[in-house]
Amino acid sequence: MQLIQRTARAVIPFVTFLSIGTVASAQQHSHAAQAPSPPAVGRRTPAPQDAYVYIGWPNEGQTLNAGRIKMWFGARNIGVAPAGVTFANTGHHHLLINVPIPPLDEPIPNTKNHLHFGAGQTEAYIDLTPGTYTLQLLMGDAEHVPHDPPITSKRITVHVR
Amino acid sequence: MKRVRYGVFILVSTLLLAGHVNAQSQPPPEGAKVYIIWPGDGQVIRRGKFWLRMGLSGAGVAPAGVDKPNTGHHHVLINTELPALDREIPNDKNHLHFGRGQTEARIELPPGRHTLQLLFGDANHVPHQPPLYSSKITVIVTP
Repeated sequence: MQLIQRTARAVIPFVTFLSIGTVASAQQHSHAAQAPSPPAVGRRTPAPQDAYVYIGWPNEGQTLNAGRIKMWFGARNIGVAPAGVTFANTGHHHLLINVPIPPLDEPIPNTKNHLHFGAGQTEAYIDLTPGTYTLQLLMGDAEHVPHDPPITSKRITVHVR
Repeated sequence: MKRVRYGVFILVSTLLLAGHVNAQSQPPPEGAKVYIIWPGDGQVIRRGKFWLRMGLSGAGVAPAGVDKPNTGHHHVLINTELPALDREIPNDKNHLHFGRGQTEARIELPPGRHTLQLLFGDANHVPHQPPLYSSKITVIVTP
């Protein structure tokens, strides 16, 4: 019993991060019950031609002071729309911190390493403690799934002291 | 029933997302603000073709027609004063609309001095209350 409680305590913080994904998949399941769902790959939103995203600030290799760091996100040949809004040639930003590109045929995870900007934000303040970090942007469609082909920035490295 | 379930889904995910974002990403220190990232005031631009980068703090971008709280879309005012703030922003060569949620615009200007200013508009192209607009900058285009 004690073991179960201890395990529960360890798991609960992760549940907060994972639950949005869980709710999303629960929603997909209810869709699946109503109609056969097409293969996941076929559902990806086509990327607009020549669309690309980039990290406007900070720069590659930059050394920053620890604490609240402002970033701005550039998007060219694609517009920004909040999550849940289906509108041609748009998407919303996700910031990947210290992680590779996640699987492209499912919603981008929502964790402390995968930040969602589903309110249509084009800049963010993030808190970083001293260390070396990689930062990369990945656009997601209304359902948080990357476009096809994916619209992703260069992955940059910053040093925080 | 399906609608109710979907509403609950949106509510739950919004709460979870809000809770999550607070954990790592914080709101900016001030209220919402729009500003021109590039060009800078007084920038000299050869041949007058450039990408204008639009900055937004403390709010989100949504395409025209999408009615969501704390969102809007950018308008670029070229060589003109702020229009009336209680009605739809005009749509002409001096008032460019970016109703597809764009945050960058390709601009072409003839040689000379030009002013540029951003004005944020809501789903119906009407400025917010209070209005969100950038400072007006001047660029100099050379042949």
